[in-house]
Amino acid sequence: MLFDINPSAAVPIYRQIIDQVRRMVAGGLLKPGDELPSVRSVAAQHAVNPMTVSKAYSLLEAEGLAMRQRGVGMVIAQRQPVRELPDRLELLRPSLQAAAQHARQLEIPMRDALALFKNELEGDKQ
Amino acid sequence: MTMTQPQLIPPLAAMSDDPVLLEDVTLAYGDIIALNNASLRLPTGSVVGLAGSNGAGKSSLIRCLLGLTLPQSGRIRLLGEDPRELSDAARARLGYVPQTPELIEWMKVDQHLDYIGAFYPDWDAARVADWCAKWDLPPRQKVAGLSLGQKQKLSLLLALGHAPQLLVLDEPVASFDPLMRREFMRTLFDETPDRTVLISSHLLSDLERVISHLVLMKNGRVLLVDEWDALNENLRRVVSPIRLPSGPGVLAQHTGSEDTTAVIDTRQFPLSDLPSGARQVMAMNLDELFVELMS
Repeated sequence: MLFDINPSAAVPIYRQIIDQVRRMVAGGLLKPGDELPSVRSVAAQHAVNPMTVSKAYSLLEAEGLAMRQRGVGMVIAQRQPVRELPDRLELLRPSLQAAAQHARQLEIPMRDALALFKNELEGDKQ
Repeated sequence: MTMTQPQLIPPLAAMSDDPVLLEDVTLAYGDIIALNNASLRLPTGSVVGLAGSNGAGKSSLIRCLLGLTLPQSGRIRLLGEDPRELSDAARARLGYVPQTPELIEWMKVDQHLDYIGAFYPDWDAARVADWCAKWDLPPRQKVAGLSLGQKQKLSLLLALGHAPQLLVLDEPVASFDPLMRREFMRTLFDETPDRTVLISSHLLSDLERVISHLVLMKNGRVLLVDEWDALNENLRRVVSPIRLPSGPGVLAQHTGSEDTTAVIDTRQFPLSDLPSGARQVMAMNLDELFVELMS
């Protein structure tokens, strides 16, 4: 399994790793029991600081998404954490921040941006 | 461009065993002020990128830290000691790569490595030989005949061979190609836990890969010190129709004919405090941050 890391992105490397694992778990590409590559191998492959990879893995562990298994390393947890609404809102925040940035760049009035988001939300229900 | 008071955010609580400590260091050559009350403290295990324009004081800061230049005033501790009276024990824990390789030109590469290695009880000749092979550094070649890139490799090996706890690198990779620069960055983390690294470089995209902390220097001052992840997540470039109130959290602002471009730290200046009509709230990579704060 390979992470896609862009060190020159405006998003910290540890966050890029966390977001990818979250998305891959949500999308079923990573299943409970699947191993994550070792800190060493990720750091060596991308020539990044091992502490950065460690930090991402520790946060994934704290979140309950992954767990440390003796002799194996990090694996995707069997039971994915039941997320309370505030946690789930936090997961949504990064994509909304990006959307807000785009809206500002395009100078879209807030009313229209909100209407569009509402429309998208309702569209999903149908 | 106006700049508010330099912000010194200590990376971690003061620890007596911090490997690098500079307090209010001032260095002048005649009328030219190279360091202007520069202060810096690096915690053990940090990998610190030292960035700034040419003449910002990066090399002066490194030279003062290592005791190679004597500042007019200020306090400096290197591995807990006065850098000008460094004990052999501290010297054995220190590795330094100068901006221009300082090599003995008439020696052969392997001779040179053995000569320097003899000064260090922990010199790992086998690893050094491995690196030579991996980095295409011909051991039997005379130093005088090496290319600049090869001399930099040799200079790097001379600093790495004893697995130092503190590694200070002044523009170490300028003559390396991208592959060798990657290889070099992997080497920084090779089997020496808790190594502290101070690396000055203009190659900001290289620094972004490896640094835990960023130090930005301007006009002989340390302008900014913080964890790079925190800066990446909290500094934003904004365009505002009016100037922002200067104070903590506004790192720089530049007023043009139409509007004001500013860099804010959202930990001290929340986005909700921006004036109405502010737009283009952008996260920045290191290159972009450098341009905004240095120009």
